[in-house]
Amino acid sequence: MQLSPQLAKKFETLENRYPVKRSALIPMLIYAQDEYGYVTDDMVAEIAGRLGLNTVQVEETLAYYSMLRRKPAGKHHVQVCTNVACMLRGGNEILDRAKRRLEIGHKETTKDGVFSLEEVECLGACTGAPAMQVNYDYYEELTPNKFDRIIEDLDAGRKPAPAPVISGALHPRHPLETPLISKRWGIPNSRSIDVYLQHEGYQALEKALKQMTPESIIEEVKKSNLRGRGGAGFATGMKWSFVPKDSPKAKYVICNADESEPGTCKDRPLMEMDPHQLIEGMVIAGRAIGAHRGFIYIRGEYRYVLDIVDAAIAEAYARGYLGKNILGSGFDFELLIHTGAGAYECGEESALMESLEGKRGYPRIKPPFPAIVGLYGCPTIINNVETLSSVPAILREGGEAYANRGTPKNGGTRLVCVSGHVNKPGIYEVPLSFNMKRFIEEVAGGIPGGRKLKAVIPGGSSCPALKPDEIDIPMDYDSLAKAGSMLGSGGMVVADETTCMVDLARRIMHFYAHESCGWCIPCREGTSWLRKMLERFHAGAGRPQDIDMVGELAKNMLGKTFCPLGDAAAMPTISIITKWRHEFEEHLNGRCAYKQAESIVGAR
Amino acid sequence: MADQKLVTLKINDREIQVAPGTLVIEAARRMGTEVPSFCYYPGLSLQAACRMCLVEVEKAPKLMTACTLVAAEGMVVRTDSEQVRQARKAMLEFLLTNHPLDCPVCDKGGECELQDMVFRYGADSSRFIEEKVHRPEEKWSEVVYYDAPRCILCFRCVRVCDEGMGVKALGVGMRGVNSVIIPNQGDHLECEECGMCIDICPVGALTSGTYRYKTRPWEMQYVSTVCTHCSNGCKTTLSVRNHEILRANNRDLSGINKEFLCVKGRFGFDFTKHPERIRQPLLRKDGKLYPVSWEEAAEAAATRLKQVLDASGGDAIGVIGSNRTSNEENYLLQRLARANFGTNNIDHHRTADYAGLHAALGENAAEKQLGMGDLEQATAVLLIGNDPTQQNPLVAWQIRSAIRHNGARLYILNGGEIKLRRQAKQYVRLGAGQEAAAVRWLAQGKETLTAELVSELTALKAQLETETELAIVFGAELSGAAIGELVAFGSRLSGRVRYMALGDYANSRGAADLGVLPDRLPGYAHVDDGHARKVFEKLWGSGLPAKAGLSAPKMVEAAQAGKLKALYVVGANPLKHFGKRDGSRGNLELLIVHELFLTETAQQADIIFPAASAYEKDGSVTNTAGEIQLLHKAAEVMGPRSDFDLLRILSHQMEKLGAGKAFHYRTAEAVFEEIGKAVKGYDVAQAGLVTGGAEAARIAVPRNGHAPYDVPAGLIFSAQDTLFSSGTLGRYCTLLESLPESEAKP
Repeated sequence: MQLSPQLAKKFETLENRYPVKRSALIPMLIYAQDEYGYVTDDMVAEIAGRLGLNTVQVEETLAYYSMLRRKPAGKHHVQVCTNVACMLRGGNEILDRAKRRLEIGHKETTKDGVFSLEEVECLGACTGAPAMQVNYDYYEELTPNKFDRIIEDLDAGRKPAPAPVISGALHPRHPLETPLISKRWGIPNSRSIDVYLQHEGYQALEKALKQMTPESIIEEVKKSNLRGRGGAGFATGMKWSFVPKDSPKAKYVICNADESEPGTCKDRPLMEMDPHQLIEGMVIAGRAIGAHRGFIYIRGEYRYVLDIVDAAIAEAYARGYLGKNILGSGFDFELLIHTGAGAYECGEESALMESLEGKRGYPRIKPPFPAIVGLYGCPTIINNVETLSSVPAILREGGEAYANRGTPKNGGTRLVCVSGHVNKPGIYEVPLSFNMKRFIEEVAGGIPGGRKLKAVIPGGSSCPALKPDEIDIPMDYDSLAKAGSMLGSGGMVVADETTCMVDLARRIMHFYAHESCGWCIPCREGTSWLRKMLERFHAGAGRPQDIDMVGELAKNMLGKTFCPLGDAAAMPTISIITKWRHEFEEHLNGRCAYKQAESIVGAR
Repeated sequence: MADQKLVTLKINDREIQVAPGTLVIEAARRMGTEVPSFCYYPGLSLQAACRMCLVEVEKAPKLMTACTLVAAEGMVVRTDSEQVRQARKAMLEFLLTNHPLDCPVCDKGGECELQDMVFRYGADSSRFIEEKVHRPEEKWSEVVYYDAPRCILCFRCVRVCDEGMGVKALGVGMRGVNSVIIPNQGDHLECEECGMCIDICPVGALTSGTYRYKTRPWEMQYVSTVCTHCSNGCKTTLSVRNHEILRANNRDLSGINKEFLCVKGRFGFDFTKHPERIRQPLLRKDGKLYPVSWEEAAEAAATRLKQVLDASGGDAIGVIGSNRTSNEENYLLQRLARANFGTNNIDHHRTADYAGLHAALGENAAEKQLGMGDLEQATAVLLIGNDPTQQNPLVAWQIRSAIRHNGARLYILNGGEIKLRRQAKQYVRLGAGQEAAAVRWLAQGKETLTAELVSELTALKAQLETETELAIVFGAELSGAAIGELVAFGSRLSGRVRYMALGDYANSRGAADLGVLPDRLPGYAHVDDGHARKVFEKLWGSGLPAKAGLSAPKMVEAAQAGKLKALYVVGANPLKHFGKRDGSRGNLELLIVHELFLTETAQQADIIFPAASAYEKDGSVTNTAGEIQLLHKAAEVMGPRSDFDLLRILSHQMEKLGAGKAFHYRTAEAVFEEIGKAVKGYDVAQAGLVTGGAEAARIAVPRNGHAPYDVPAGLIFSAQDTLFSSGTLGRYCTLLESLPESEAKP
């Protein structure tokens, strides 16, 4: 088929940039869709031909990702988030307003083809909730009226200004904060290499390349007690040390920037305001394990962030911080940015690698673990954005100094993005083991309107929720585990007394059912069944036996699924049904006691 | 492997020793403990998706999937604990939420793995009251239908199509609970239509267009026999109800082909009830064929043959045999020609030079013979000529399996862009018909070839010299002296080399082995070999001619020219394949035919005997690799008789007229017993055959000082059948003909 010159050029670049051609598949599909509005039959054949695939291989991959379409959407594709953080701050009201205003429903397009509407999952704008995206533009801290104005502007051919950076990142620093990896936020043009260099930029890399051996880098990271910030909390230095040094295969470093755990939006500001810190961390990681190529896999919704990081990569190449013979050290490192296309499951490391290889984001059988058999079957380390962004600071100030910022076994600082019912939703950097109660009350400004706290989801929606009497604990991996929850990804969602916990459980399960990849039976069928049950229950058609059954079904998933997504769906559900059982019992009378209160919050 | 240290583990308190690398699910099965699973399928990639095989492992924090867990020394596994039972029950409860409970009308009811598992491990009641996911059934092709709600997403179909068949016509669409299997053409399939996906499906999600809604599994008898189409000899299990074949598959994974069948094996059985089937003897009177009684037809045949014998002698008769009749029938046919007619004018359409291979290998033939199983175990394969994907589907499957499981290296010498080239380590593209020249170059190094080809062949030769074992598989492109060159080349390689010649049709090998050849007795001894003749003369009580007879093409030429007075044709269509283009019988006086249908040859016959097909008789056949298997009568068709019966009838009629001795065998087994005694190498173990296995014939031909073996160019040629054609018989396979893919003939 005839391609536009830009797309043809884009395709050529993509086809030739990966060690295995098929990796270009998802980016090609999404860039083609950007131009045509959807992926046409001809385009499927065209891309299949270019990558040496058959069309069913293209269709398989395409069908998996929620951003990719085989049918046209509107010129302005309005995507309203109703996931937990947005829901607590009126996301459903925005969606209702959108439906009424545009006179279309979920996944429908206006007759004139100008607008289409989609209720979407967490967009990574939790501290700016409620939020939506129109095409790739973020609009945050919405109200129904603000929504109307955006639509009016779009209808009139004007483009309303999207959020310049994520809301909640550029707040006045709280005295209890200890900015380390977020310290450049707010500095004008902090994303440029010049500003970065003026603020300790690439000093750690220089040190790593000129004064340290790969072993001593890993040793330093081990000393820092840095643990994975993506959610699992695995010791980073240890992970790096698993890569076989004598393997004749290529080795890879992957940055997991597929941030999509509901409630989590810390990687987005790290990348949009300080991309060079991440690049520096990746080169150091490459040096540590002997990798010469890295990939940043960034969720598809973060397109503008991708463009920012891509520009930063170009700057780094131009200044010799990437490419051949970096800083004259003889060390080579190539770095590529890679877009996802809408799949929470791709945040799971092995699913991410499948996705990066151009396939459906199914997780892989483990063992072998990525450090031995990862991307393209080669040894690979994969770390979260925040983890890699912490590496330059560790090398600059030394592992021990970094570790001492936190507590033993929980080294350093971490970003907490707090959303939901707090006065100051935002992203804050505090030492690990900072007290959770104090954090909510002081740093996040407490609960609005003097209302009472009901529940805290400490680190993204897959973490079991805590009751108000369970939160006077240090925020670190071990203390949270002791409290029966997880530190997770740092996405804290706070729910006050006006929150219906049945509705919260329903919305959480809705998300996991939507994101279940379908690979294994318990997750595929379990999340769907529980979603339907909780929807029915919340709508007033619950039966007394349903309460126990929700818990039982969740337990039937727990620990039996192929990957942790099943657990992620089961654990919060079990916690809610156990700790707030009385709310389920109250629902049995046929109505949601909190409905009215909820809409008051939303109207704010 | 023998010195490999075994791993000892404990499953349900019983100790078992297994080879390192064994999966726990296999270890458990070996000791008779079933660990249920849907997605695990031996030979296909691992998935751990269905979670049915979760087992308890001591010291593991949670249940583990036995299908991915490698047995380790000292491992303690429980497959029957309360926790495990509860997990299985939970998985089945999850599975049944969206699975329709339409078992009473589902084709799979009664042989459904899900049904069986729920019966054994499931809950006794259902707790699911929500709405199920609905989706209409889809017709993907004439033979494949997909019912998405029934699909449990074990992905066996996707894997067998991709990994096993190398076709990749199926994929997975959507995600989560909406996941479905998708065909390669959006709403339909365009593929090899092998139907592997249907039979590998554990539930009724993929059903067969030819079988669906026809019957229930418990209403049928199951008869295992051998596919009658190509020469690979796949075991097929025919599902029969009221003497009618309703289905063919091989779900018990027995036989040389295990689960494999191609489109012909799985769907090409409807010729048995084709309306044009000949059901009564036909006799030509005043230029027209009329149905007559068996007595009249048999008497006419014997009388008229006797007349020719009396008037012109045995050499005035030609006999052309079949590529599909049984070993016993072939043996009797050549006995009829040699002992009763007194002529060596007997041949068949030769599609591979089995005699040539035996001549080249001589005394070593048995040990140098490559079996179908050996091919799957091969670590290196040299394929010369032929397109196995189209012509020898099981051979192609075995080669793909060898590549997948053993990392086998495939080397190809071919004049065409055959599909297997995609898996080849080295593919040497030859000019059309250049295979023999390339082999001569490999053997002797002197042949006028392009410099480019010479450099490719040099590289190939160097590679082949590094192989410790080599399986050489070749098509009809090599015959006569070229096979001698090939064997000469092979014998100079340092590794162990074995050979397989690829012919067409179910028993072309048996026809050659059992002497349906003008110059070879059963077992390949030359007809001028007095010792060899004596064995048969003694058995049959008559003298045998020592002069080689005419080949099939020569017979047809001679018949058309009137030099041959009578032609006796069994299950062949020589007037179509040989002789003059117009296919006429020319000046032939007498043409007698055993046939299923009025083929071009049968239409011109004087006497036609309606013959039974391979699916309607007992006996044995030998596949192209020399492996003998038993045929079992599955269908009963009114009218036709087996060629075994027809030849016996004729021999008795002729004896009455004083022409030779009647055949006194009561059963095919009796004939096979005689073959076993007379033909060294056919005295195979009965146990293997009777239990549905294959036994390799181990014929070894002593070198007897004959001139170097050769055959005229063009005598041996392939029928060039595709996956969707099967010689004359294929025209009567209505379903094969109806598939759109069948038109795309190469």
